[in-house]
Amino acid sequence: MNARLEALAAEARTRWDADRATGREQINLCLDTSSLARGGAETLAALEAAIGARGLSVDITATGSWGFCWLEPTLSVRSAGGTRTVLYHSLTPDRVDEFVEATIVAGGDFPELALGVVEGVATDEIGLLEDHPFIQGQVRRLMANSGQIDPANIDHYLVKQGYEGFAKSLEMEPEAIIELMIESGLGGRGGAGFLAGRKWDFLRNATADPRYLICNADEGDPGAWVNRILMEGDPHLIVEGMLIAALATHSVEGYIYIRHEYPLSIERMNIAVEQARDRGLLGEDILGSGKTFDLVVFVGAGSYVCGEETGLINSIDGYRGMPRTKPPFPAQAGLWNKPTNVNNVETYANAPLVLREGAEWWSSVSEDEAKGTKMFTFSGAVNQAGCIEIPFGLTVADLLEKYAGGVPGGAALKGYQPGGPLSGILPASEADLPLTIAPFRDLGMFLGSGGIVFFDESTSIIDLCTYFVGFCEDESCGRCTTCFQGTQRAVEILRRIGNGGGRETDLDKLEDLIQTLVWSNCLHGSFALTTVKLALRYFRDEFEMLIREKRDPTRSLPGMITYEITAPGDPSMVEAVAVCPTEAIVGEGAGYTIVDELCIRCDACREVAPDAITVRDRFAITVEASAAG
Amino acid sequence: MAAVPSISELRELVAGYEFERGHLLPALIEIQERYGYISKDAIEVVARQFRSTPALVYGTVSFYADFRTEPPANREITWCSGPACRLRGGDRIREALQHTLQLPLDGQSRDRAYALRLGQCNGTCSEAPQVWLDGKVIGGLSVAQAVKLAREVKDGV
Repeated sequence: MNARLEALAAEARTRWDADRATGREQINLCLDTSSLARGGAETLAALEAAIGARGLSVDITATGSWGFCWLEPTLSVRSAGGTRTVLYHSLTPDRVDEFVEATIVAGGDFPELALGVVEGVATDEIGLLEDHPFIQGQVRRLMANSGQIDPANIDHYLVKQGYEGFAKSLEMEPEAIIELMIESGLGGRGGAGFLAGRKWDFLRNATADPRYLICNADEGDPGAWVNRILMEGDPHLIVEGMLIAALATHSVEGYIYIRHEYPLSIERMNIAVEQARDRGLLGEDILGSGKTFDLVVFVGAGSYVCGEETGLINSIDGYRGMPRTKPPFPAQAGLWNKPTNVNNVETYANAPLVLREGAEWWSSVSEDEAKGTKMFTFSGAVNQAGCIEIPFGLTVADLLEKYAGGVPGGAALKGYQPGGPLSGILPASEADLPLTIAPFRDLGMFLGSGGIVFFDESTSIIDLCTYFVGFCEDESCGRCTTCFQGTQRAVEILRRIGNGGGRETDLDKLEDLIQTLVWSNCLHGSFALTTVKLALRYFRDEFEMLIREKRDPTRSLPGMITYEITAPGDPSMVEAVAVCPTEAIVGEGAGYTIVDELCIRCDACREVAPDAITVRDRFAITVEASAAG
Repeated sequence: MAAVPSISELRELVAGYEFERGHLLPALIEIQERYGYISKDAIEVVARQFRSTPALVYGTVSFYADFRTEPPANREITWCSGPACRLRGGDRIREALQHTLQLPLDGQSRDRAYALRLGQCNGTCSEAPQVWLDGKVIGGLSVAQAVKLAREVKDGV
């Protein structure tokens, strides 16, 4: 083990121990983006006020997330003696006073908001956190520290064996590091699953210098926030992973490209990089090894296609973020046309674990062909929008039931999207697929980066297609006609179908477009219509019903419905008239009517007057068609 | 936030940036953070600093959704375009916001009092459907609530 790292770790340990032996209670309050969205900052202010008002002294640390995103703000309270730590959830400012009274003043628990005991013994009212249904079955390696350490303090990471994997790699030849990475079977976590070790080997074998590393933290897939959880919860894991990759590939500089929508991730990664540099873990002569490597946190400016590795490279280079043609591959000519390796945040974050614990330990967690753990976030038609880390291979249905808490209101699941607008959609009947690389690849789609979106029976497939293809159209870089024009044509056709103007030939036209877009330069174009491709395979009847019967089974498409006042005398009609943004409700008293031309189908009136207003099918052809059929 | 950046100020601001170091986006981001937008003058100053042309710099500016070439409005409703929001009526909220504010997405009122922006998902999906009012999350929004919020912003309440 590296002597300098040992010294750093020992100093960190001394400060950590001193911080924990103050005789004060310690609160770890999750203050990540999800918590802030749910009032985390207000809870912090209320806690500080309540503690101050009582003349108490308590240490409060802002941490990352445990993954209970739908229950934020979460916080753990460690007792003054350090013998007991309990995790709580949903602490709103109005509950803070009684919370402080119970946990700090009385030194007891607050069972009503408890999730579980982190350290110490379970009671009748609070079980162990590890037995909590949301935690059970998870294998939290990347998330091991998240929520439990201060992400803005490198000491905490060092105490948790931080940089030990890097120290090990310092004693290894680059070939040996790469061999170990390949042996572990760590595949790229951005979606394609290509072996990270092989990718690193391309860069190691490059003939030009200098060489660069890029960490892709552009996480643009809407509904995915696993990278954000990592960067906000344990940023040094990424710094260490990139250091290891730098040694293996002879790279001198690395860029962490973070989307501007993640200001807190940017802040915490910047702090981590600065602290690593201060401790001699970045810069020249790292830990006395003579090696040089430094990191730059680079902020994006809003472009989905910059998540494609060559688009990302162009973006750092200072151009429009348009993906390049390959070859040359980044390992030959990447950043400034120098050899470059691009990996996802989660890929780099796994490297320290592989080095520290060995390839066998690392890969043995999963029986699956895909090795290691994978983080997933889930949202949409779920009771619990959160983040977990599990071995590959759990079925989608199990994830939905066990971790996402099922579909709200007991509604039936209609389908899901495994990982981003390019990955495609599948029906509920395919929810028994295991979450790993192969089954999705076999269906002509891909697992993606980990953001699963579930949808229920109230969702129109045509609306989903229009939405996701519209997203791809907006974000097309404009290089390939197949992509930027093809997505436009597809959106036009989908809108036409969704407005009741669909033609018999439209589905063939869509199939033509699907075939054509495959020839786009990058993944964005070639996968832009995956959603439509799979929708036509699994939900074709919904398209046909719209085209032939002019009927939308979900009664949600604006072009297929009208709003009608069925109880004009209802007292809530006054509010309905007032809320309408287009003044489409005219008349008064019993004579209220809706001017169809003005109505934008926003549903505001029905929300406030549910008993007075009814949604009807816009077209009457239904009867005729079903009579004929 | 200075209202109209002067050319000398802009030159000073970007003096340390070098194109060869990947500094174009950082320079543009710094200008926008300082002045709220990237003016025509700023594009010319950046082009000169980077030994490029205004057309190329503008090409980059226009590629990224976050760069603005007009001063920002005083108040901003940012509508989340993410899937979790969409599945919970987000698109109806968009329609209602646009009609209430009489603005397209990424449009602002003539007097720059208020604007409607398209926002990308940042993974706070438990709050769906949501908008950000001047950066602050307003989640679990009904269409009727969105209409009321937009009217308040429009009327300067």
